[in-house]
Amino acid sequence: MTETQLRPSETAAPPAMGRGASFLPAIWDRATGIAGRRGFIIAFLVIGAVLPLLDRNEGDIDAGANALSYAILALGLNIVVGFAGLLDLGYAAFFAIGAYAYGIFSSYQVQPEWWGFWEPFQWLGLVQHIAVPGGPGTVHFTVSFWLMLPISAIITAFFGVMFGAPTLRLKGDYLAIVTLGFGEIVPIVARNVPYLTNGAAGLNGVASPTFFGYSFGVQSMPFYYLGLALAAFLIFVSLRLKNSRIGRAWLAIREDEIAAEAMGVNRVKLKLLAFGIGAGFAGTTGTFYVAKLQTAAPEMFTFPVSVMLIVMIVLGGMGSVAGVVLGALILQLLQSVLLQDLTQWIHAFGNLTGIEFFQQLDLVQSIELIFGIILVVMMRFRRQGLIPERAAVTALTHAQQTAVPSRIGVKGGLVPLHRRTLDPKKPLLEIRGLSKSFGGIKAVRDFNLDVMPGSIVGIIGPNGSGKTTFFNLITGLTQPDGGKVLLMGEDVTGLLPHVIVERGIARTFQNLRLFANMTLLENVLVGTHSRTTTGAIGAVLRTPRVRREEIAANERVMDTLRIFGNRLMPRVQHLARTLSYANRRRLEIARALVSEPVLLLLDEPTAGMNPTETLELTDQIRHLRDRGVTVLMIEHKLAVVNQIADKVIVLDHGEKIAEGTPKEVHSNKEVLRAYLGRSTDAVAEAAAAS
Amino acid sequence: MESWEILLQQVINGLSLGAMYALLALGFTMVYGIIELINFAHFNIFMVGSFIAMWLMQLMGFTGQTHILYGLPLIGLLVLVLCMTMLGTGVLGALIERYALRALRGVSGTAPMITTIGLSYILFNVILLTTGADTKNYSNPMPNIRWEFGDAVLRLREVMLWGLSIVLMIGLHYFVRRTKMGKAMQATAQDQEAARMVGVDVDRVVIITFFIGSALAGAAGVIFGLYYNYTSFIIGYTAGLRAFTAAVLGGIGNIPGAMLGGVLIGLIESLGGQYLAVRWTDVIIFSILVLVLVFRPTGLLGRAAPTKS
Amino acid sequence: MPISDAPQTQSQRRPPLLEFNDVNTYYGELHVLKGVNYRVGDGEIVCLLGGNASGKSTTMKTILGIVRPKSGVVTYVGKTINNLATADRVKRGIAPVPEARRLFPRMTVLENLEMGAFTRTDTTEIESDKERVFSLFPRIKERLTQLAGTLSGGEQQMVAMGRALMARPKLLCMDEPSMGLSPAFVEQVFDIIQAINKQGTSIFMVEQNANMALSIADYGYVLQTGEVVLHGSAKNLRDNEMVQQAYLGEMKAQ
Repeated sequence: MTETQLRPSETAAPPAMGRGASFLPAIWDRATGIAGRRGFIIAFLVIGAVLPLLDRNEGDIDAGANALSYAILALGLNIVVGFAGLLDLGYAAFFAIGAYAYGIFSSYQVQPEWWGFWEPFQWLGLVQHIAVPGGPGTVHFTVSFWLMLPISAIITAFFGVMFGAPTLRLKGDYLAIVTLGFGEIVPIVARNVPYLTNGAAGLNGVASPTFFGYSFGVQSMPFYYLGLALAAFLIFVSLRLKNSRIGRAWLAIREDEIAAEAMGVNRVKLKLLAFGIGAGFAGTTGTFYVAKLQTAAPEMFTFPVSVMLIVMIVLGGMGSVAGVVLGALILQLLQSVLLQDLTQWIHAFGNLTGIEFFQQLDLVQSIELIFGIILVVMMRFRRQGLIPERAAVTALTHAQQTAVPSRIGVKGGLVPLHRRTLDPKKPLLEIRGLSKSFGGIKAVRDFNLDVMPGSIVGIIGPNGSGKTTFFNLITGLTQPDGGKVLLMGEDVTGLLPHVIVERGIARTFQNLRLFANMTLLENVLVGTHSRTTTGAIGAVLRTPRVRREEIAANERVMDTLRIFGNRLMPRVQHLARTLSYANRRRLEIARALVSEPVLLLLDEPTAGMNPTETLELTDQIRHLRDRGVTVLMIEHKLAVVNQIADKVIVLDHGEKIAEGTPKEVHSNKEVLRAYLGRSTDAVAEAAAAS
Repeated sequence: MESWEILLQQVINGLSLGAMYALLALGFTMVYGIIELINFAHFNIFMVGSFIAMWLMQLMGFTGQTHILYGLPLIGLLVLVLCMTMLGTGVLGALIERYALRALRGVSGTAPMITTIGLSYILFNVILLTTGADTKNYSNPMPNIRWEFGDAVLRLREVMLWGLSIVLMIGLHYFVRRTKMGKAMQATAQDQEAARMVGVDVDRVVIITFFIGSALAGAAGVIFGLYYNYTSFIIGYTAGLRAFTAAVLGGIGNIPGAMLGGVLIGLIESLGGQYLAVRWTDVIIFSILVLVLVFRPTGLLGRAAPTKS
Repeated sequence: MPISDAPQTQSQRRPPLLEFNDVNTYYGELHVLKGVNYRVGDGEIVCLLGGNASGKSTTMKTILGIVRPKSGVVTYVGKTINNLATADRVKRGIAPVPEARRLFPRMTVLENLEMGAFTRTDTTEIESDKERVFSLFPRIKERLTQLAGTLSGGEQQMVAMGRALMARPKLLCMDEPSMGLSPAFVEQVFDIIQAINKQGTSIFMVEQNANMALSIADYGYVLQTGEVVLHGSAKNLRDNEMVQQAYLGEMKAQ
């Protein structure tokens, strides 16, 4: 592989935001900038809060409360589909589990016989003892609605993790089909275990929530406001998560799983987290929904519900919180108001003209057809949705673009690049007998190498000689057939890529694997993943510790970007896919550096750079070494290797054919042969003569 | 009924269902093998196929199960209806590829899959809105000829459905292995860019794959109607999910695997329905799907030879 | 910046088979080929030199129509082929030997060769071309029933070249034919390239092994960050100081 292979996410990128092909989209994109989005969400919540005061029609408020449940579901699903890029087609099943969980624990459906076991629960107020003459009596579950909100979340998250786990290691398609199957069987189970669910007839007599003694009863107003509060909560959680260590890791996984893993993100764990959080929110909403309706039946949770939620997300914009709110709003208005009105007008038109077709047409009936059309049309013509996940970024000014590259702050007075103390006498990296074959091709064979701390080791050799495979073996992207890799004396052979990053090895990719649709800043922040600890809860609460960590990570990123002077600094808010080739290389190095590696693997860092840029980078790599990072670099430009490498390894055919100082290696006959082919002798003679 | 008779009867039933699932699974597996896309529209192309065949027979004056044919006229009618249905669903599949999916080819992430869900939904609702939600009594000209083995019954229609499936699968095998287009499909499945470099028109290969897969789904739709004597707008969802499980079970992308998986799922459905409970059938099949994904994601026959028979 | 090239000026070269005129190619927002001009004369071997990520593979993809230029013209046998599909280009005689071979791993060697003749219908001619391939690569004949994915790198390279020849091309486009091959094999491959060329096929070759490439080429181009920085006859390029520094003689400079 000699040249950039563009990542699919890049070639497939939606058209650049803020550069609409026509006039209207351009205006729309500007209106939905960062401020526009914030304004929209605030307006949604404020108008939502005052609406019942203006329109006191019970039916409208009830419809509003139902609509809010679906908006909450869409926001929850957006975490799974939009943030982490996992297509969940059975989201309604989690909704059902949450609904039945509350339904069962707050109705007369399940009534086990009373005995001593239940007494502590009675004392806690979770159950009541119903005396039956001539017997021990039965148990009536009376678990509080407020308690069940989080418990439902935990139960459904558990189911989500259980069913998500088998597929999350596989390609995303499998998750779609497994969740589709799951969505199919949950209603079947509900229908077929009448003991728990009262079967197809549906669960009845679900208790209404009480709030400090005030019962919600069958009024809509309290549910409406509770729904609005839940929606506000979910918007808050979504936004907090999205702009956190966790959210960035999700986006990175969505953009390029392999690169995310190589930057220290545990992809299985993070996907499960997204899936579990999404499922949990569905469970909570289920509890809310069933408390409002006071009944639960299998039909309420079938596939069409999941599809409707996906339509909301697709219409609004996958991963865009404001977009999903807008999508949910539009669909609910469409269903409950617009289509009815439209149908009436069409009927009136039909009556007027006497055309039977228009007299019969019922748009409300065809809502699902409209859903299908929305999905297809949006995917075909505006994949990023009405409000794209990314707000438009202003382009660099001419002055910024043409500014003379400056290299500030390279030396001295900076944070150390990693925090380990190394024994200068012991090799940092030891490779012993490493081997790997692909089919009939031996990519790396019986490879041995010691790398001393604080050195720069260059690896040269023709394309296809196994250099990149060697890097993949060290970083865990490829499993070796045999041999060992020791880092600071510890065996790291065959560890998962993100664990190897934690141990202190970071890398760049020859064929550039940036997260194309994330900003520069976000790209590099993903690199700090293995050195930060904020979890999902911390990200939402944004505790002082989390805040400090986030500030520190940002500072480290800025410090690191400063190594490249003003090459990257003015562009930190730009998407990575807008960068030039050379800047992409720099960005990859910065992203690797912030993981605080003791050993940095650079795969052709200067490929695609012109001589000036190459010289600049050579200098910068030397400074990295001076700041304590050991560098192992694959490089084709011999000038670079000659200038900075303490040791050079020559690979040919997966074998090390020479090792030594640049000078020693260059006088090695076998090397000349590998590099220069058949007229070696002539060249060697010329060399001798000169 | 003796227990062996019950078993025999359920095997007969299972093979019939299996033949249908296998035909349906082939469409999933072929499309996946070529462009790595789960085509959810396939579910309802199958359903549309059963409707097209019913309409055709109704047009020719066959309604319900009262117009019985024998011998050559029966075979002639079935061949005619089958060919026209397969042509109809094949063209439907090709149109879907050309006008909805081609533009998204190579787009990573969830977009292509979401599009196929939207398409599936459109087909589903168009049939629902135009024909109504009631179950349709299927036109079926097959005579009630039957052979009895103890209490187990083998009907002519089952024998004919097996024969039909075997003919179609042999035909597909021949097509993929022996024809130039079949070779092009194999090449595209193995390395799309290399296929393009030897002069394969990949767009054409993809659209033909959709055509063939959809035509087979149409045939499966005809089988559904003739086997159960009814059809409905809703049949695509369950059958599609089972057929997809069959494709995964056999090894997605693997043509013989889809056939094997289809027959296995058919047998599991009928035997599971007999010995456990019909209402748990989908739960059993779903559990199989999850277990295969956990323990053998490459399926029974694996991906080693996806398009080889 | 063409180097002065007295013995073989542009006009003295053979009539053009393939030409690039001011071709610009983009990947997304990335400008890869920046106004490049190439020319491959009928019957010539032309090599393209340059570091990784300089635009060599993009050049190949542009010739084959896998990537379309945003501006500029690609001419083949006097006709613009900018909008021609890859399959049609292959039909008209442009056959690639792709980087990293790209054989069909689960097809046999024979099936791979037959795929090379995919666009042809002249059965008897195909048979005689098969024999021609076997005579060029005797080793292939021993492996006909083996799956291509299990071959060694050198054998794969031979099958890839054989597969390309099965299209009976006018222009053979080779992307790094020496990649991953042992020195003995590299020499063999270059001998065969010369033999193929003598049989009348023009060759456009991207190569990192500049010394080998220039030793058999008629003409060469040097690409750097998407721009042609140097071109001239192979001999002149070999003597050029910059080429020597960057690709050939640097080792001796030590």
